[in-house]
Amino acid sequence: MLVQVPGGWNPLLGRLAIDQIPYTNPILAPLFVAVVIGAVIILGLITYYHKWGYLWKEWLTTVDHKKLGVMYIILGLVMLFRGFIDGLMIRTQQVWANGPQSSGVFGAVHGYLTPFHFGQVYSAHGLIMILLAATPLLVGFMNIIVPLQVGARDMAYPYLNALGLWITAAAVALIMISLFVGDFAHNGWFGYAPIFELQYSPGVGVDYWIWTLELTALGTTLGGINLIATIVKMRAPGMTWFRLPIFTWASLSANIIALTSFPALQVALFLVACDRYLGSHFFTAGFGGNLMLYTNLFWIWGHPEVYFVILPAFGMMSEIFPAFSEKPLFGYITMVAASFAIAGVSWLVWLHHFFTMGAGPDVNSFFSVATMLVGIPTGVKVFNWAFTMYRGRITYTAAMLWAIGALFLLLVGGLTGMMLAIPAINYMVHNSVFVIAHFHSMLLVIVYAIFGSVLFWFPKVFGFKLDEFWAKTMFWLFSAGSVLVFVPMYMLGFMGQTRRLDYVFNTAWHPYLVTEEIGIAVYCLSVAAFFVLLYVSIRDRVKNRVGQDAWGTSRSLEWLTHSPVPFYNFAVTPHVNARDELAWRRHNGINEAQPTQYVDIHMPNNTGVAIYIGALTFVLGFALTWRVWWLCLLSLVAIIVLMIVRSWRGDPGYIITAAELEKMEREAMQRQQQVEGHLPHHGGQAVPGGAMAYEGQKVSPLGTPPSSGGDHH
Amino acid sequence: MLAAAWAGLANAGIFWIFDPKGTMADTNLHYMIIDVVIMGAIVGITALLVIWFMWKYSKGKNRGKYDAHWSHSNTLEVLVWGIPIIAVGFLAYFAVKGTFEINPYNPTVITKHMAPKGDPVHVDVIATDWQWLFIYPQYHMAVANELVLPVHTPVFFRLTSTAVTSGFFIPQLVGMIDVMPGMRTKNALESDRIGVYQGIASDYAGAGTSWMTFPTKMVSKEDFQNWVSKVQASPKTMTYASFNRFAEPYINVNHRVVYFSNVESGIFDHLMMEVMNGKTWPLPPAMTENMVAYMQKQAAEHRD
Repeated sequence: MLVQVPGGWNPLLGRLAIDQIPYTNPILAPLFVAVVIGAVIILGLITYYHKWGYLWKEWLTTVDHKKLGVMYIILGLVMLFRGFIDGLMIRTQQVWANGPQSSGVFGAVHGYLTPFHFGQVYSAHGLIMILLAATPLLVGFMNIIVPLQVGARDMAYPYLNALGLWITAAAVALIMISLFVGDFAHNGWFGYAPIFELQYSPGVGVDYWIWTLELTALGTTLGGINLIATIVKMRAPGMTWFRLPIFTWASLSANIIALTSFPALQVALFLVACDRYLGSHFFTAGFGGNLMLYTNLFWIWGHPEVYFVILPAFGMMSEIFPAFSEKPLFGYITMVAASFAIAGVSWLVWLHHFFTMGAGPDVNSFFSVATMLVGIPTGVKVFNWAFTMYRGRITYTAAMLWAIGALFLLLVGGLTGMMLAIPAINYMVHNSVFVIAHFHSMLLVIVYAIFGSVLFWFPKVFGFKLDEFWAKTMFWLFSAGSVLVFVPMYMLGFMGQTRRLDYVFNTAWHPYLVTEEIGIAVYCLSVAAFFVLLYVSIRDRVKNRVGQDAWGTSRSLEWLTHSPVPFYNFAVTPHVNARDELAWRRHNGINEAQPTQYVDIHMPNNTGVAIYIGALTFVLGFALTWRVWWLCLLSLVAIIVLMIVRSWRGDPGYIITAAELEKMEREAMQRQQQVEGHLPHHGGQAVPGGAMAYEGQKVSPLGTPPSSGGDHH
Repeated sequence: MLAAAWAGLANAGIFWIFDPKGTMADTNLHYMIIDVVIMGAIVGITALLVIWFMWKYSKGKNRGKYDAHWSHSNTLEVLVWGIPIIAVGFLAYFAVKGTFEINPYNPTVITKHMAPKGDPVHVDVIATDWQWLFIYPQYHMAVANELVLPVHTPVFFRLTSTAVTSGFFIPQLVGMIDVMPGMRTKNALESDRIGVYQGIASDYAGAGTSWMTFPTKMVSKEDFQNWVSKVQASPKTMTYASFNRFAEPYINVNHRVVYFSNVESGIFDHLMMEVMNGKTWPLPPAMTENMVAYMQKQAAEHRD
């Protein structure tokens, strides 16, 4: 039943053999040495400073949504860097291997990467950037912000949350180890049938690709379940649907997409695995297989996935624009409607990824018009952001610059997207670098929104602001890099350069390729600026400390609690009175009111089970890749046993007593006094929590002029 | 003005998409201009609006009136939904019209005006790993890695592939169409302009894709007849058996062109049937890990 694989196989090690380790590769071998040295230094430092216990108790076993979110974001940033290095390698190969006269090294006829390696680099670049950089970064932000915005103490399922993170980390580990053990897929990040079948890709690369995707899909699905449950069931009293902050709405629409679409990916890849492991013929050209069935199945997930990553980014922009325009978001209701319209249409457009398949004009027309429909709610969003700035008082912080940059990129991506939606145009630029430039414009919208959000919410999580000067330096360098890389790329698309060329045959394109390479160099400078930004900000952290409302103009519930947010989020569960709760409280002069009375809090315990299961899923993925059957069985059984044991024991949680809480709150308020120079006042109400849980009766609603006596300063 | 700017770019000669040389590519450009003019106007105005707001409502400059609570306007709501809806409705009309006009299976821009143009030329295109074989069934001949066609004549392609999927693309003449093993797609082109135009394998088909290019020569009808006679005189012939050897993996780094005369009829359909019955052309593991060594091996085997 199991298919015979080419090359050696033995029961103990599967396909693993010493010749599968590319120790002679002139790029990978030095990299491996550097990684080992780096790892030894980091592990040595942790041991030297006796930080293992801290790391284990505070981070590796945590179920705190904020710490998990921070780890998601760190994971995403590390992979963003890895993906960037892949991008740098792709650009360098193309500018080098241009024309028949170009030189070649390391076994390549032209350039420094053989087709075999070039294919792996761009496949890894795409997969990493979309699924292991953008997705964890966004999931990380949703993890941190959504429970705070709905006024919850944690996610609905804290342990499941940790499990999602560690399974995603296992996927990351799997793709990273493919650098040094075996090789990675060369069939592009989305895979082509039948080139990923065993006849055309006999190595383990495609298997790494399958199991990396399966693991990340699993992790993201678990996260989606959790976020939906949190938003639906964990909202604070008074948080009606139409008081929900807009980022939370965007997260809800995005996670409905995730929950419903990721299973399609998992099934598609499971069928690929059947072809490669069991010898079935789902996607082969012969024996009744249908290779375009794979492409359809993949994009039935793939297009909703695109909106799964763009919708939270739109949500982030919708938070940043009002905060720095000092007025509410324009058209809140239509913004929500637009998000769900995009989520709904996302299911009807997948075929536009392969108009050139040869479907009839009726089918292509349907998908063309459906695709253009996406432009309507997206256009609405752009106009709404514009009218949010209208009659505002705009402060150009670095976060605002990133959001505005995202808006302009969205205009460019929208213009080119509407071109690609029309088959009569698409036939000319499909699979060209024009498409690459288009979707990089769109993915850069996400990257811009993410960097804006890093700056915007960093003080909430860590209690101090990032340095504005270096943040703006990074923004301008990054934007210059984007222009230098992607404007020539659009032009090359109009010149007919197709994507994924290991060797670029036309020397007339050379100036444009060189410009792109210069853009990559400018991107490198922006990466350097980011590291300087982190260093300078951490160095000056005492100077840059902030109180509850880091920006003074923030609007939603997360700014109501201390910065950094205590592990229990809110000392007492707040009562929500308005759509922009903090803006409403500021308007009524109770934005700094503190609880008068505390009650016991029930919190979840830390658990090591999540990281154990994560590690075992990595072992399972690795064993499946190398066909080490005994290890597959062992790790699978261990995962199931752990899950059963954990379910049996459950988690009784623990109690923070009112007295402990009061002590911690007093310390937090003293810290805040040092920052702001005055003590937050006590809420005067004789209800548990006082004004913190204030249910407004005698206060004026938003929209009326503020009363003069409202200021407590 | 925009058209003039594009014409200027086209004169630079390297913007192939703006410099079409055939009916199909002309039509593509026509729709591109319509789309970019409509969308460009909307996007451009929106960008200017945003820039104006950014300037006017900048904090501390006191250029615009600040309204801390303004967040709704029925008029603007109608506009922000109405403008995109009208634009999309307008473009949808052109999208559907264009899709039928250049439908690769029956492009009405060619077929509607076909009668006076004379007999069409049929070409069966087979993509191998990693070469192109163009079979001219009317002339019982085939050419590898070079496409020669007469002007003022509709050309109809049938396309398939031996091993994996790829794409057939001649930027200045006709848009992309997928080529897939065990499946048949179609495409068509027509050109009035003599010249040599670059053909490209537009979809990743494995290690040799980058070198899978072919010149497309549009020649006069007389020159085409002379060329046909030349190919028909080639000493190399092709049967289905010899086709199978031709289709073994080969990286065409040196852009060889091969002529075949007396080509057995029905190779295209025979291949389709065989692939559907499970024939594959397996690649040895990591065949191109060392490209230089592979090229030496390929040369030593005298496959040319």
